Amino acid sequence: MSVDDERLMAFADGELSGTERAEVEAALAEDASLREKLAAHQRLRTRLSGAFDGALSEPVPASLLSAAEKPRTAEVVNLADRRMARWSVREWGAMAASVVLGLFVGVGVMSAQAPLMSPSPSGLVARGALADALETQLASDEAGAVRIGLSFRDTDGRYCRTFDLTDGGTAGLACREGDAWNVAMTTAGAGGGEVRQAAASEQILNAVNAMIVGEPLDATSEAQARDAGWE
Amino acid sequence: MTSAAEQTRSDIVAMLPRLRRFARALTGQMADADDIVQIAVERALMRMDQYQPGTRLDSWLFSIVRNAWIDEARSRTRRGKVFAPAELGEQVGNDGEAEMHAKLEADDVWSAMRKLPEEQREAVALVCVEGLAYREAADALGVPIGTLTSRLARGREALQMMLGGAS
Repeated sequence: MSVDDERLMAFADGELSGTERAEVEAALAEDASLREKLAAHQRLRTRLSGAFDGALSEPVPASLLSAAEKPRTAEVVNLADRRMARWSVREWGAMAASVVLGLFVGVGVMSAQAPLMSPSPSGLVARGALADALETQLASDEAGAVRIGLSFRDTDGRYCRTFDLTDGGTAGLACREGDAWNVAMTTAGAGGGEVRQAAASEQILNAVNAMIVGEPLDATSEAQARDAGWE
Repeated sequence: MTSAAEQTRSDIVAMLPRLRRFARALTGQMADADDIVQIAVERALMRMDQYQPGTRLDSWLFSIVRNAWIDEARSRTRRGKVFAPAELGEQVGNDGEAEMHAKLEADDVWSAMRKLPEEQREAVALVCVEGLAYREAADALGVPIGTLTSRLARGREALQMMLGGAS
């Protein structure tokens, strides 16, 4: 009898039993090319094991362990659920590239040299280098401790800006109220790679989408708004 | 939390190494893999009531990992973001770790897996990497068993071509 490729594969994977299995075994005994195909299946399995089995002996990162051991808590304070039109991919990309995500906890943000945010009667307010960056830095400027992403006007006519902390900390969104920048939201997450970063970007972008009026400021209007003191 | 739920939670912890292995095969990226596992674990814990004790926890978790990856891949497509494996190593904070990641990701098998169509890659990852039976893999993917085997056959054939007979 002839053994087609799928049947041989099922044999190699231990999926056959009884008569079916015996038939393939009989065919293998007679057919060297079939034996070679079987050997190729086995070699592929070995190579796949060699490539991926490392994960079984490596220590599991603490971030994963704590995700499995702790109940999930809300990471994001979202301002509104309203959704508006998304803006262009180019602008998104500029921001996505700039967002780095970290854990927004007292230790990470509050105690590093001068505090970057502090509570006030109207909520969390940007301080120190974060306040300076929000006030004066353009998205195109070289980032210091803070990178600036998008700037836009919200439904209350305020200027708002997205930011992230370059030391792998918090990403967030702040809006200018009076003379201060109120931090409207921050994202948190224990380090991580691109997916987490992208998820954080998306959370911030969703908030931006819910707040924005019109389009984000382009470079010229961003500089003009800054020069006019964000009034 | 009930003791059954506590038991499930500790079973999930015990599954983490396998979930990481599966996610690596599925994403072809070290950092992505752990991100996806983390998202999946968080989802699994939120949906623990959907898990039926006595059924296979691994298949259930694999399907959550796989769905997390599909969601991520979709949202990347939506955002017009190009899948750029080579750049990833550079973003990892620690140099030694980045080097290790880059080295692994550059491996022939990893790069061959990344080139497979998603549906073939997930079939190969479940059966050839994780050792699931066809029935279990088909259930985890929510497809008929015939669909699973044909994806698996095509995926394997493509891998063997790319890897030069897998010698």
